[in-house]
Order: sequence, then structure tokens, then C-alpha cells
Amino acid sequence: MSTNQLWETKPLEIWDRAKALRAYWQQSIDDSAADTKLLLAHGNTGDVSWRDYFSNLNIIEDNPVGAMMASTSDEFSRKSRLASEVRGWGREICGYVQNCWGAQFLGYQQDGSVFPYRDLSVPFTDPCDQHTKRGQQCMDLSPIPRWGGDWPIYLGEDDPARDKELIETRVWCTLKIIADIERIFDTEFDDASFINDIKTERERSDHGIRIMNLMTKTPSPLSQKDLYSFYTLGGLTRLPPEILGDFWQALIDEIQWRADHQIAAVGNERYRYMEAHPSPWHFLKYMRYLEHYGAVCIGSQYSQMMAGSVSWNKETKEFERRVIRKPEKDVENVKTREDAVRYVLTEARGHRFKDDEYFRKNEITDFAEGFGVQGAILALWRGGVGCTLTRKEQGLRLSKMGVRVLHYEGSQPGDRTDLDEKRFLDQIDEWMECQGLQKIS
Amino acid sequence: MNKFSSIFENRHDYARDWKKRSGGKVLGYYCTYFPEEVAYAAGILPVRILAKHFPDDTTDRLMYGNCYVTRDMFNQFNLGHYDYIDGLVCLESCQWWYNAFDVTMQVFPNLWSHYLFTPDYPDGNRSKDVLRSELSVIQKKFEEWTGKTVTDAELDNAIEIYNTNRRLLRRLYELRRFNNPVILGSEAMEIMLANQVMDKAEANKMLEELIPELEDRAPGEDRVRFILIGSETYDAELEKLIEGVGGNVVIDDLDNGSGYVWNEVVPLKDRLMAIGLRYLGKPHSALKDNVWRRRPEQIFRLSEDFQVDAAIIAKQIYCHPHGTDMYAVWKLLQERKIPYHTFERDTTLPYEETRLGVEALIHVAKQGMTRANGWS
Repeated sequence: MSTNQLWETKPLEIWDRAKALRAYWQQSIDDSAADTKLLLAHGNTGDVSWRDYFSNLNIIEDNPVGAMMASTSDEFSRKSRLASEVRGWGREICGYVQNCWGAQFLGYQQDGSVFPYRDLSVPFTDPCDQHTKRGQQCMDLSPIPRWGGDWPIYLGEDDPARDKELIETRVWCTLKIIADIERIFDTEFDDASFINDIKTERERSDHGIRIMNLMTKTPSPLSQKDLYSFYTLGGLTRLPPEILGDFWQALIDEIQWRADHQIAAVGNERYRYMEAHPSPWHFLKYMRYLEHYGAVCIGSQYSQMMAGSVSWNKETKEFERRVIRKPEKDVENVKTREDAVRYVLTEARGHRFKDDEYFRKNEITDFAEGFGVQGAILALWRGGVGCTLTRKEQGLRLSKMGVRVLHYEGSQPGDRTDLDEKRFLDQIDEWMECQGLQKIS
Repeated sequence: MNKFSSIFENRHDYARDWKKRSGGKVLGYYCTYFPEEVAYAAGILPVRILAKHFPDDTTDRLMYGNCYVTRDMFNQFNLGHYDYIDGLVCLESCQWWYNAFDVTMQVFPNLWSHYLFTPDYPDGNRSKDVLRSELSVIQKKFEEWTGKTVTDAELDNAIEIYNTNRRLLRRLYELRRFNNPVILGSEAMEIMLANQVMDKAEANKMLEELIPELEDRAPGEDRVRFILIGSETYDAELEKLIEGVGGNVVIDDLDNGSGYVWNEVVPLKDRLMAIGLRYLGKPHSALKDNVWRRRPEQIFRLSEDFQVDAAIIAKQIYCHPHGTDMYAVWKLLQERKIPYHTFERDTTLPYEETRLGVEALIHVAKQGMTRANGWS
């Protein structure tokens, strides 16, 4: 242990499994063009994971693909974005979308292989304008089947009658998508597995809440950089549920052990900071840079979404599941596809588009209190509206409660163009030093 | 004509005066999907929040990345221009509008407010039911707010007044289909914008007087005919600039232009359903042109019907809906060999570079002209 080390630390054992999952995901993309399975664009269907129950469906989300492209090849992602821009897409459009669909226009991927053209598309409105429109590029390219899963929400006081109508719309959209896919592609939806998984879903998402609560401990057993990998691999990449179930169980076991034994993610942790939404995926090394100051990032409202909709209990000092609307039927009485869809969507009312925007700014102070942070780094992204909305308000609220806030500017987490990395690190130096912190390693 | 221009220029005074005369409430709204008829039936004056350019030293504290239009909307509240507004309504539409609504409510928490969900996929099979339900909710909210029950007769009256207004404004558009139209694009746009901040019953009377006068006008000069496409507009400066170099905007595909008046409410026994269907059936905005597209088809129809020579696409900087939709518009214009010029603007117009771009486009359009009346 060096003189500056305050806590024992140890590499995560689960990294090997995470890397294997990462390779599995990449392989599934690489194989997609030649694969006989149907290729679904998006399928980021929020709370009802129907996509997992069609055996012949592969899903590629453009967000992780676009982020990976920006991270691994600035040259190719620039080329892809240019291919979109010359066809009329605006410069302020989300980098993930521009990267992924720009490659579609080029017709090939980063390694030169054929771009995997999508067979169907299900974009939806959560959580930003870019999500609403992001299925458009592959839909405009060819007349593939497409659906819109509206995401009805409202703000203001709770109104059960109003809520019911909005939930029913979402239920209807979901059932329609499933039935249409069955009809158009002559494929079968596995109702039995779907219903069964609904019943065990609570257990799986409880893992997310447990991890979140473990990360409130000092020292934090994970840092944000680790968490991003697990959150992405465990959620956004849409890997098969049986693979993910084992992965999450192993992850929670290891984190619990680390928390119990005070094994730190950052051995010199003496300063805790948070974020709000995605960081520049190609430049996560700033987190390592901050570790020279003994600063650890404990997560963000974005990465902690793995826990679903949660709220901070000021008395128990724990994050708890938020259930706004109790389903009419108990989970034991869920017998049909329709029951299952309605059950999940009713319970999920706590985390919806615009609610997300409401929670972002109104509950960021709870988040800061729960994780005991001294600082917050809040990116200001010029593209991808959902990555920036409410960020300034969040900064003001955090400042008011005494959390020191650093804003920095860039294009979008999946677009390197405008992020001045050197300037960002200079900002970090000044931010740390003005709080009386010097580099200790 | 000058009456509408004057009301548009002095719109805040008009609304203050209306309030004084009627004793009613004024409701601000942002998006053309707002079903004004329901508010109007409750005795409320719906006023569209319009941007203009004013020095801004306040919005940066709460906003980042917004288009300048939404910044200015908030700015104008801070400057006191909208001090007569009693309430604000926000719709499921562009997120920058949502943000303008949100920060305005934070700074002015005493304003009455409501969030109305309008489907992002207007053609969805259940969209009509969910919008019908939302209209019923907002009607009740209006009743609580004003202390007045909205009757079917009042809804019928509002529908009739709004339909009449749409019909009258469509007559203005029809006049622009002629060769050498009697009305310029800038004049028409000022009338359109004035109508969005006025009591429609008063606007209708003024239009009924104005239209016969316009029809008696001598034909206008021969000009290159443009369609204006893109983000919503808040003034007629671009139209004036185009006219200054020999062009004329004869048609537009703007949400607060043709999109505001293109279809009517078809009366039904279920009034709220009838109103909802009208808004779902209106020409799609860029954000809501999802799944199977309708917007390129609408732009092409307008271009044919109004015999346009060229298209101008004016996009607000940071306008995401149009940033994502321009691809389809360019594709259409390229396929149909319609020359076009795209540029970005904010609440001000980059005058010289826009003029150069429009002049260049006019030269392209003139060279390729095959229209029967031709060019010398």
C-alpha cells in the first residue's frame, strides 16, 4: 500500500466475464449481416422486453454501436457522420445516431464488413426527440416494417383515471407490435417464458437497487467507469436474458463482498463526485485522471437507471423501488400475454419520458445526498437534446446544497468533434485545486 | 392589411386590451398541436408564444443547447413582455419547447399550467382515443380554472369560429396559387402570425373585409415562386428578403403556416373526438412525421399545386426535429428536380449570406424554367 493509499483495492474478478460478454455482443453484430435471423433496429422498448421472446430476432441498438464507433475510430465515425450530414442530417443530431446510420449510408462497418441492414424497426419516444426520430434513417432507406410505440405521459398531480388511459395506450401499442411481428414474419412469441420472466423480473431488477445502495458506501466498491461497462453490457446491448441473469448474480456477489470488506474501486478515495448523464465514451480516462486527486465518480442518474425507478428514503438512508401505480392483478395471477404486458406497464409508470426529466432535476439533490458527494461534473452536450436537457437547472440545485459543480462542453457523448480534451483536463485541475485538493498520486 | 401587421407588431397590447375588454384569461401555448377550440370554448384566449430577438442576459443561467427561439420565449417572460399571460400549456412536442415551459414555470410558479399529451405517432390506431381522453382532462382543468362549465353549444361555436378562420386563411393561400399573386408572401405570413395571437371571432371579421379587397387588387409582379420549408417562423423578414431580390414565397410547409390551417374539424356528436381527429390529421410536423412518412408527400403536393420554382429550407440552429427530417426533404427535392437552398438561422436573419444564397437559387431556377409563362 502506497503512502497515499487510504483503502485496500483489488481488480474486479468479473472483468473476464464482462470481456467475454463484450466479445459475444461484438460478434453478434459482426455476424448480423450474414445471419438468417431478423434484425431489429432499436427495440429499446422500455419496460416490456418483448424482444427477448422472439427466438429469431437479433437486436442492434444504435446508441452503443455509435458510442463504440466514436470510441474506437475517430476517422470512421467522422466519415459516417459526414455521410449522414451530406444527406441532410443536422450537425446537432445525436452522435450515436449519426455514426450508426452514417455507416448504413456507407454500406460497411468499421472493419470493412457489410453493414447489417435492419429488417424491422421499433423506435419509441423515450426519452428524447432523438429517440422519437432515430428509427427514421433505416426506415427511409427501405420499406421495412416499422412501428411506433407511443410513450404517453403527463406531468403534475397524480390522476389515476388519466393514467389508466395512458397505460392502456401503451399496452395496446405493445400488443400490436408483438402480434404484427408474429403475423408479418410468421414467427412465434414465447408467451410462457415471457410470463414466467415477469414473475422473476423483480428479483433481477432488485440487483440494480442493491448495487446502487452498495455504491453509497465509503469507500465505493465500484466506480462509474466500471459501472458504465456493466450497465451497458447488462442492459443496452440486449443480450439474452439467461446470459444476463448469471452475469448480474456474479456481479452483485462480488460487489457485496467488496463492500463488506471495504475494498475500494479507487484506493485513495477522499473525494466523491457524481454525474448526471453520459460522459464522452471515447474519453473516459478523465475519470482515471481524477483519481490522481483521490476523486471517485460514484455514478450518475444515467448509469443508476439500471435500478429502474427508485427514490431516496431519507429515514432509512437507502434507495428504494418507486411504485406509483399498483397493477390490478397480482403477479401470481398473470396468465396471459395481455396480463403480463399490462402488469409491467402499470408498475413501470414511475419511470417514463418527461417523468425522467422531472426526476432529473427535482431528485438530483436526493441522489447527491444519498451518495454523499462533494462535487458534480455535468456535461453540456450540444447535440442530442435528451443528453443536455435540465443540466443547467441541475447545476443550480446542486450548488445551492453546497455541491461544487463543474460544467464542460462538447458535441455529444458519441461525437468527438467539439470536446477539447486538454481544456477539459485543465478545467478539472482548476476545479480540484480551488477546492483545496492537490494530486496525491 | 395594415391592421393585421399592426396587431402582429403590437400583439402584447392587443392581448392586454382583449383581457380588459372581456375579463377573460389569456393562455400561452407553444405548439400547433394545441387544440385551441377547447380553450376558446371555456372563454380563454389562446395566444401562441412567439419569439423575437431581444438582448438576452438571463436565459443562459437555466438553458443550454436550446434553439434561440425557445430562449427568446423565456427571455420575453423575464423581460415582462408576457405579463398578461395567466397560464401556460405545454404539449408532447419539441423538447426545447418543453424546456422553455419548464423554466418559465420555475421562475413564474404562480402561472396556471398544464401538460397535454399529444401522440408522437399521430397515425397510431389508438392515438385518437388517448388524445380524446387528454382533451377531456384539459377541458375539466379549464372548467376548474375559469369556474365555468363548457357546454356542447360552446364547443360547437368554437369549432365553427376556428373552422371559419381556417377557411378564410385558406382563401389567402388559394389567392397565392394564381400566376402573379395579388398578395406577397410577407403580407400573408404577417396575417397568419397575427391570427395566432388574436381572438378568432375578431380575426374572422377582419379577414372577411380584407379578402375581397385583395381579390380586387391588380395582379402582382412576375416573380420566382418559392416554397418555404423548415422550422417555424416568427416574423416575415425572410419573405421580405426574398421579395427584395425578385422572388415570392407562394406557399409554405411550416407548422405555423399552412400546417396551422390546412384541415378543419369535421363536426361529430363527440365534439372532443372531432377536435382530436383534426389535430391528428393535420399535416405532420417534423417531429411527428414518424413510421410511414407523410411530410415529403405533403411538400410535393404543395409544390405542384402552387407551381413552385424552388424551395428555401430555413432551419433554426439547434432545431432537432428539422435536423433529423431534412434528409427526407432533400431526398424528395432532389428526386423531383426542385432546386433548393438550405440555411440555418436564429431569431435574427443572417441577411447578407441569405440574400446571396437566395439570389444564387433564383439564377438556378430561372435557367431551368420551363413554366408556360416563362421568363424573359
